[in-house]
Amino acid sequence: MKLKILQENLSDALHIASRFTSSRAQLPVLGNILFLAKNNKLSISATNLEMSILLNLGSQVEKEGEITIPARTITDLVTNLTPGTLVLEAEKEQLSILGEGTKAVLSGMNTSDFPSIPQNVGRAFATLPKSDILDALSKVLYAVSVDETRPVLTGVLIIFRNKEIIFVSTDGFRLSQKRVKVEEAWGKEEKVILPKNVLIELTRLVKDEKIKLEFKKEDKQVLFGFDNLLLMSRIIDGEFPDFERIIPKSSSYKINVDRDDLLRAVKLSSVFARDAGNVVRLKVTQEGIELNAESQLGGSGENKIEAKIEGEGKSEHMVIAFNYRFLEDFLNSLDSEDVLISLTDPNSPGVFTDPKDPNFLHLIMPVRIQS
Amino acid sequence: MDIDTKMLWNEISESVRVSVSSAIFSTWFSQTYISELKKTGSRYLAEIGCSSSYVKSTLELRYYGLIQDLLTKSLNYPCDLSFVVKQKIREKEDVSIIAPLFQEHKDDSVVENAMVGAKLRLNFTFKNFAVSSSNQMAWAAAEAVSKTPGSAYNPLFIWGGVGVGKTHLMSAIGHTVLEKNADVSVYFTTGEGFTNDIVEGIRNKTTQRFRDKYRRLHLLLIDDIQFIAGKDAVQEEFFHTFNALVATGGQVVLTSDQPPSEISKLEERLRSRFEAGLIVDISPPDFELRCAILQIKTKERGMVLDENIVHLIAGNLDTPRKIEGFIVKLMSEMNIKKSEITEDLIGTLLGKGEGDNGQKLKATPSEVINAVSKYYSLGKRSLLGSSRARPVARPRQLLMYLLRTVLSLPLEEVGRVVGNRDHTTVMHAVEKITQLASNSVQIREDLRGIKNLI
Repeated sequence: MKLKILQENLSDALHIASRFTSSRAQLPVLGNILFLAKNNKLSISATNLEMSILLNLGSQVEKEGEITIPARTITDLVTNLTPGTLVLEAEKEQLSILGEGTKAVLSGMNTSDFPSIPQNVGRAFATLPKSDILDALSKVLYAVSVDETRPVLTGVLIIFRNKEIIFVSTDGFRLSQKRVKVEEAWGKEEKVILPKNVLIELTRLVKDEKIKLEFKKEDKQVLFGFDNLLLMSRIIDGEFPDFERIIPKSSSYKINVDRDDLLRAVKLSSVFARDAGNVVRLKVTQEGIELNAESQLGGSGENKIEAKIEGEGKSEHMVIAFNYRFLEDFLNSLDSEDVLISLTDPNSPGVFTDPKDPNFLHLIMPVRIQS
Repeated sequence: MDIDTKMLWNEISESVRVSVSSAIFSTWFSQTYISELKKTGSRYLAEIGCSSSYVKSTLELRYYGLIQDLLTKSLNYPCDLSFVVKQKIREKEDVSIIAPLFQEHKDDSVVENAMVGAKLRLNFTFKNFAVSSSNQMAWAAAEAVSKTPGSAYNPLFIWGGVGVGKTHLMSAIGHTVLEKNADVSVYFTTGEGFTNDIVEGIRNKTTQRFRDKYRRLHLLLIDDIQFIAGKDAVQEEFFHTFNALVATGGQVVLTSDQPPSEISKLEERLRSRFEAGLIVDISPPDFELRCAILQIKTKERGMVLDENIVHLIAGNLDTPRKIEGFIVKLMSEMNIKKSEITEDLIGTLLGKGEGDNGQKLKATPSEVINAVSKYYSLGKRSLLGSSRARPVARPRQLLMYLLRTVLSLPLEEVGRVVGNRDHTTVMHAVEKITQLASNSVQIREDLRGIKNLI
């Protein structure tokens, strides 16, 4: 293999690819990046067996070939080279890099042990508009569970239902749902659970306006194609809990409150709630809502916020307790001015919505309080 | 044809392990398994389940021949392979853990109403029941009954002394059953309440209503069943109620202060019915359990006590009821006098010995002196004498402690009884033993032994 490539391009690509290598894997080749020179382009790929990436870089290929190189070494090296043209030449299991005033020889590994990685998307199942997808992901990713004992909850459920894509995530205590309207229509409903990591990478990497998406059902694999790269991941096996059942249909209070006010109150309460199991109590009164938290060591605080309250049980005061982190996560993800909170009773989930966006819905399970 | 695919794959794996490096083995083979094995004609078709498509493609490309050879050798037939991506089904499926958001939301008021209807105490649940070796058996049986009422142990008969938690356990069963399904009919009553219901039924000629009320229950809880002993009509009615309930799959839970065999005037047929179920006893709580109970109870009232104070209290009070009473006293002390909880305060409160709520031992000072001298095999003369050697002095202090706390004698009187000593000596002795009781097992044992002798 022999080729010429720009240091800037190679350095960027290596930074991305090295995130996909697994440094602690028992198989050393998984800590390596695969270089493949063919048809006047250089493909760089890496995998940690859960997901993988393939980047295509424009270059001048003089001799085709392939080699794998430990990610750390080559990334550190290329980053620090002076910008300009580099000459990469692989001979057996060694790669020499020739830059301006630098010559380095890196020991690599045979490519035969490297897992095979798909090279293209094929016929795409769907083409997704970037901005809508990124917006949807930002509203569901924070609610994904980190608990490995329930694998299905460690991913985001994506449902393709005629002219609509629904993103759902839950960790068992809260649930986020965002619908995205699209022009494409799917005859048959498709459901897929994708790991959180690949979606986070997607939001970091995508620059193109369109994202191509393809499933390989029998391989339980999903592929995203955009820009000059191809992102792949496994699909999480299993049945997502029936989330539609738990979304409350009615409510006894509807509270309309300013987002910034509420966020400030939540942050103020969190000072005390941190020592008291993160519990913040929300009291609904006629004038507005009161947030209070107390800890046995730190003290207590109370914050009143004006709010518009509608509901049948207006005369009684209802007290409901939430984990402040959940409230904070939700409020941070929101970009509207107001928040609409619908509550039924102190033991049923609270429904949090954006009054301007009917396609977004967030549920938070209250903390039980002893009366 | 029945081949254990798990065993077979273990065999194959072991052979593979020999021919590849351990890194390769753990990356590609450890999560792999045979998902299906079919025989068609004289050939086997094995479907290999892989954890991801990377594993699948690597195995297909590089290890197909190796696996095929090994399988062919193990099965003695030619073998074909196919690979699928299929995650291994976990041995322990975690369907039972339902995240709170996905639990059935029952209107709490419904459950609460049901509990009020069943006359259950709301705060007697399994959650706030402390378990140690003295009541573990009873607790496990009660848990089993609450999970599958009517089938685990029927009837469940719990017996034990006062204040050991029989009623708590029984209520907790009703609580759990109702929490699961508020429509189940549960009724909690006492042996006395049951008797009154019958008497009323007979007086108002409404025995039919009485029968309807009891015989259609799914779970009947009767506290202090020993009270129906000796009442013939009541026992007969209970016998029929019991039979009717058990026949329709209802669960019966009973408590008593004695085992059925020792309840006098209990009809033989009832006794044999009780003995057919599970009889468990709860013994008085040990020191550790008393600590746990104390902590649970103080937590319910929003108090936090230091470890040493918990030990001090649990060491000096022997039944949960006394502990409860003591907490009430402590609370009022805190609220009214605004005093802080210190070991001194606890010491004085314990030393006053008023917390017994009428359970005071009726004994004369000389009986207590006899008990102590008998327990330690010490002559009365030396016990009341002037020797200050520890083997004599410690029992003497114990004696003063007992006279003060159990008989509530004034300090001077105690001093007078114990060889004309000064009241300050008595104060010191009481303080000393109060301290020791919290950290010395021996002293606690001695105290109990002597109390039993009195």
